[in-house]
Amino acid sequence: MSDWKTFALPAALVLSTSAPCFANVYLTADQAQKLIFPGASGTPWAGKLTEAQKKAIEKASDLRIRKDPQIWQVSGGGWFIVDEVLGKHEYITFAVGLTAGGAVKQIEIMEYRESYGSEVRGDKWRAQFVGKTAKDPLRLDQDVKNISGATLSSRHVTEGVRRACALYDIALK
Amino acid sequence: MEKFSAFNHFAVPSLGLAALASFAGAVPSAHADENLFGFVRGAETLPQGHFDFYQTLTLRTSKDVGVYRGWDSDTELEYGFTDKFQASIALANRYIYNRGVEDLPDANHFTFGGVETTMKYRLLSPFKDPVGLAVRLESGWLLHDEVGGLLEHEMYLAPEVILQKNFFDDTLVTELNYGVEWAWGKDPAEQYYKEFAMQGGAGVTYRFAPNWFLGVEGHVRSEWPMFNFGNFEHVVVYAGPALHYARERWWVTLSYNYQVYGHGVDEIARSQTFAEETRHEIRFKVGFNF
Repeated sequence: MSDWKTFALPAALVLSTSAPCFANVYLTADQAQKLIFPGASGTPWAGKLTEAQKKAIEKASDLRIRKDPQIWQVSGGGWFIVDEVLGKHEYITFAVGLTAGGAVKQIEIMEYRESYGSEVRGDKWRAQFVGKTAKDPLRLDQDVKNISGATLSSRHVTEGVRRACALYDIALK
Repeated sequence: MEKFSAFNHFAVPSLGLAALASFAGAVPSAHADENLFGFVRGAETLPQGHFDFYQTLTLRTSKDVGVYRGWDSDTELEYGFTDKFQASIALANRYIYNRGVEDLPDANHFTFGGVETTMKYRLLSPFKDPVGLAVRLESGWLLHDEVGGLLEHEMYLAPEVILQKNFFDDTLVTELNYGVEWAWGKDPAEQYYKEFAMQGGAGVTYRFAPNWFLGVEGHVRSEWPMFNFGNFEHVVVYAGPALHYARERWWVTLSYNYQVYGHGVDEIARSQTFAEETRHEIRFKVGFNF
């Protein structure tokens, strides 16, 4: 085997296995909104996060904003936010419903594509967030229980909810 | 034969002298959980009740003279007994091809390497604690050595400490390994019956795109035959890039390591060592999660 083949074959093997695959989409934004705010309708937020607001949110939540979240104002009061956090390999897309006063009404995991840690989709774990506001720590092992074996996902989703609460506190209140 | 003059003094056939490597030695072979690197291990463990299946293929090639290709195949099954404790068993096979390599008979054959087991216990999580910490114990029974595929009856024990620190939302991962190894029954492939080794590795890798990690890693190993620190045999340092790609149920890792430094006590050259080692190591791994 010539030298170039010796080195090129393993590389070709890696690239050949990296074909795209489909995401596990559990809920669309519309479905998640109906689940969190039954019977209500949502209007896209007319505002736009300024750079100063983004920095303030990042500082308050201790989490970087990699992509602007999608925000809707819900009829009857409340906010519906669709955001993403990093999973181990891909993004975890989630929705947070906030009351008119900024407390978490419900969270839903919309897309999850990781090998492990899908336990964060469980009702019991997600129920921990109900009633949390920007004043709460929203930290793993403080006011949010970790899921053993799903620590990375637990931590990142918790951080994402903390960022959503900070977003309300800084930009929507 | 100049390089092995000391060994010849003991009238040991040059065939055996060249086969100084242990299976678990310069190229650590049994793996655990998802591997971001080819040679360096992380502190994560499998969740309870989950299986992983791995296939690793390592090519060790290029010595100072002749043509040498040593292929190592490791097929491994791993299980998470708890969220913190996992164990695995692996089968090792080899394909050795060499022509004109000094102190090694020409060969072109497959051999059965042996059976290896590992246990890993995570003390601290890299995702929650200030630093991830795990201890790992590898053991094995080996029938053929990795340099020439020569007969041996080796048993080895290799404890290791693993540190892992993640940065920037777990997109930058650093890992550090340090361990030792006691091996018995290395003859007749080697001159000495038993050997002690220190080995370690370090790597840093970055998630440059969803599913993709690119980093660099290095590993080092030193050996002392007969468990005697006054009887130093060789030290080798490898380093190079590692590329990792993962999907929901499988992942692949490709690593290339170059011998950046080596020194064998019976070799004249002091920049690289080839009695047991090679100039290049290329490792490909694929893992499936269940």
